[in-house]
Amino acid sequence: MKTKELVKISGQLNKAQEQIDAKLAKGEDELELDFSEATSVSVEGLEWLEELLLHAQSANSKVTFINVPPTIYKVFKVAHIDQFLQACGGPPVSGPVC
Amino acid sequence: MVTTLQEQDTTITDSVANLTRQARLAAAVFTQYSQEQVDKIVKAMAVAAIENAHIFAQAACEETRMGVVEDKILKNLVASEYLHNQIKNKKTVGIIREFPEDNMVEIAEPMGVILAIVPVTNPTSTVIFKSIVAAKTRNSIIFSPHLMAANCSNLAAQVLYDAAIAAGAPKGFITWVQKSPRLRRETELMMVHPEVDLIFATGGTNMVRAAYSSGKPALGVGAGNTPVYVHKSTNISSAAMDIIISKTFDNGTECPSEQTLIIDNEILPALIAEFKRLNCHICTEEETAKITDIIRDPKTGGINYKLVGQSAKTIADQAGMNVPSDTKILLCELKGDIRQHKLAIEKLMPVLGFVGVNSVDEGINRSLDINYAGGTGHTSGIFSNDDDVVERFATAINTGRVIVNSPTSMGGLGGLYNNLNTTLSFGCGTGGGNITTDNVGIQNLINYKRVPKRKNFILTFQTTKDIYINPGSIEHLRNVKTKSAFIVTYGSAAERGHLSMILERLPSDCRVNVFSQVGVEPNWGTISRGIEQMRGSQPDTIIALGGGSVLDAAKIMRLFYDFPELKVKEVAFNFLDFRHRMNEFPRELPTQMVAIPTTSGTGSEVTPFAVFTDEETNRKISLIDECLLPNIAIIDANLTKSLPPQVTADTAVDALTHALEALVSILATDYTDGLALEAMRLIFEALPECMKNGANIVARHKLHNAACLAGMAIGNASVGINHGLAHSLGARFDISHGRANGVFLLTTIGFNAGIPRKFLPHSAYTEYVADKKYARAARFLDFATQKDGTTTQDLVAALKRGVYDLLVSVGQPTSIEELGITEEQLELAIPSLIEATFSDMSSRTNPRLPMILEIQELFQKAWPKPVRP
Ligand SMILES: [Fe+2]
Repeated sequence: MKTKELVKISGQLNKAQEQIDAKLAKGEDELELDFSEATSVSVEGLEWLEELLLHAQSANSKVTFINVPPTIYKVFKVAHIDQFLQACGGPPVSGPVC
Repeated sequence: MVTTLQEQDTTITDSVANLTRQARLAAAVFTQYSQEQVDKIVKAMAVAAIENAHIFAQAACEETRMGVVEDKILKNLVASEYLHNQIKNKKTVGIIREFPEDNMVEIAEPMGVILAIVPVTNPTSTVIFKSIVAAKTRNSIIFSPHLMAANCSNLAAQVLYDAAIAAGAPKGFITWVQKSPRLRRETELMMVHPEVDLIFATGGTNMVRAAYSSGKPALGVGAGNTPVYVHKSTNISSAAMDIIISKTFDNGTECPSEQTLIIDNEILPALIAEFKRLNCHICTEEETAKITDIIRDPKTGGINYKLVGQSAKTIADQAGMNVPSDTKILLCELKGDIRQHKLAIEKLMPVLGFVGVNSVDEGINRSLDINYAGGTGHTSGIFSNDDDVVERFATAINTGRVIVNSPTSMGGLGGLYNNLNTTLSFGCGTGGGNITTDNVGIQNLINYKRVPKRKNFILTFQTTKDIYINPGSIEHLRNVKTKSAFIVTYGSAAERGHLSMILERLPSDCRVNVFSQVGVEPNWGTISRGIEQMRGSQPDTIIALGGGSVLDAAKIMRLFYDFPELKVKEVAFNFLDFRHRMNEFPRELPTQMVAIPTTSGTGSEVTPFAVFTDEETNRKISLIDECLLPNIAIIDANLTKSLPPQVTADTAVDALTHALEALVSILATDYTDGLALEAMRLIFEALPECMKNGANIVARHKLHNAACLAGMAIGNASVGINHGLAHSLGARFDISHGRANGVFLLTTIGFNAGIPRKFLPHSAYTEYVADKKYARAARFLDFATQKDGTTTQDLVAALKRGVYDLLVSVGQPTSIEELGITEEQLELAIPSLIEATFSDMSSRTNPRLPMILEIQELFQKAWPKPVRP
């Protein structure tokens, strides 16, 4: 049976890093990142998120982003990183750049 | 170590991918920053640049072997301290500008990733400038330095980046291409890289051209060739000093700096003597030839780059000339036709051409010669204390900057000598192949998002101020203050006794003139005869007595009598929105006007409209303005008692059409709705009775008021498609206005009650309610019977039936057929009828935009006699 873990991020994204890293290390099947209380994301945060998605992919587990506020969703859009948009439920291949 | 070409390519691709990725992530993160965060970063960067201005300048001079350390320090300070001072309070995040009067705001959106090309002539100041403006606008920036200046440029980038990061900037928002033989190739790859959003190119023409050819948005700058006209009105010693300051600045590497002086011959000897006194060297013809030889590259025909930014002494040495070591500038007279002179080009070194001229015209023309020899759009200068000369020069010359009475190089930078935006990038407009003539800066690095709120269309209600409304109110004429009255009326007014009713009631000492030649549909000839007669009698009051035609004619006569300088063509326009028209009317007319209608139809006594026929084109011309409103209206039904039944019915149907159309007009308001509904009620009630017994004063009174109320409604809400159709049919087949209106009523109600194929776009019209309003009218008029349903469509049908019954009961035609027009005649006329209807102003306020095919259908549907709805 698949397990689903929810991690809530509050304030700056990088603050939840340790907690998520730990969960990923435990090998949860599905991880849901709740951004409802996240306020902003840094470049380091983006890099870490990208890495997390790569890890998850190789561990065959799925990560989804939920409750992403518009300011952060826009960062994902401008960053042109497909995996972020897919984690937000977007289609697998992104449309035109920009 | 030996690397293969393939390995090199991989290295370049990796480097490009790495740089653009960093910039991309930083640009994404930057979108979240607030103005406070941005301003803190910008300040930290400016402080770091100021603290390191000296180090950067020294590094630049050492690496490039160009320019002057002291001047480069100043440039670095301009790019940091001056720039910061100028932009620190500017808004670049969120709402950056508000336009309250236009109900609009502008919001900033960053551009994203900027690829910035840095020139060898300003390798550190350009980096300072571009990184600060990028930070202020929340963009990432990747620097591509010049190979010969990469170390100093990248040093400046590193220092400013560190300061920005310490102040909270996103990681990687400034990056740079490392110095290597692959630098050029890497830059070319980035110019076409999908993650680069904008190229901000300053530098050699080739670089700028490459940027523009990349297919990406690019801010480039053109080449300069600055002419400076020294007019005889100038202060000679000031001009000489300013020119020296400017031309020697960083040994002439600034592209806006002076290239050729055009000097009035009257002051030429004195000015040259002053240059000489201040240690400039005036070259002989032979020396000029030597300099020309060495500063042009024989291979390319362009400038010899080895001499760019060198001192006057160095250049003189190379030319084999002997000048003192403190020589500031080498001045060369450009003899002969300067358009052919080899020195009439941009010389980024302390070599300055000059030429004498005998007049302002010649001065401007020679300046244009230099301007158009490779410097269009860039910079020019003028020294003159005569503002007219300055204006003539600036009007003729084609440069983005026309620097007045100051050094062109520092003047062009902005901030030091004037209030131009501080920049190191000089937009040259289309003259230089650029998109802007701006001193490029933060304003060019923002995507402006305009947020216009829906226009607040101001609705108003205006009508004639004093309206006397009961039978016998003609008595009010006794109270009208007038010493000289002019009565405009129709031919049989005397016969019907109307004229004497007026004359008897005017003050005994009042001079009276009568113009009784107004017939049906007056033309301009009639109106101008009336105006002429008015001018002869100089009335203080105009009394219009008659039907709509008379009232309209009198309104127009009054306008041109009061304002003889007005031209008909200028005030009579066909316009889209009759409240924002192009033609300007006077605010108010001084001559008093009393309108006394003798028919119950147009309501012209209370409308701002007046129509006449232009006999030249045989077209109706409408004038619309509130100044046309009469001051007084007398609605005395006694004057309508003798109206024949046919005219009574015709004019009443016009009034009914006014009420029906005003009710659903896109400009209808609560004010006009009430008037329209009550006008309908009165017409339905009184018209049949008036037809039976014309002398029934109570019925006449109701009908007379109805026409006036409906007039007030259309005076503010205007009419609709029914009038457009009636105008064109009436004009084509000579049908009276009321009858022509009547035959379309059933089809246009059906048309407007349907779902429009096209809505009429107007900011004041927010909801399609025509069908509901017709339904409301049906309820108000009590038309729905027990058998009828209660849906909107049922009620619309009931209204149509009510209208049909009224028309039939008073003997009015309900179809075009009944007007004696055959189907063939109508079909033949349809193309011209459609055109006239579509362009009729009435159609512009109809709730449903009539498509051309729909107009055709409206005509065709109105032809056969309808069955009772
Ligand atoms: Fe009318």
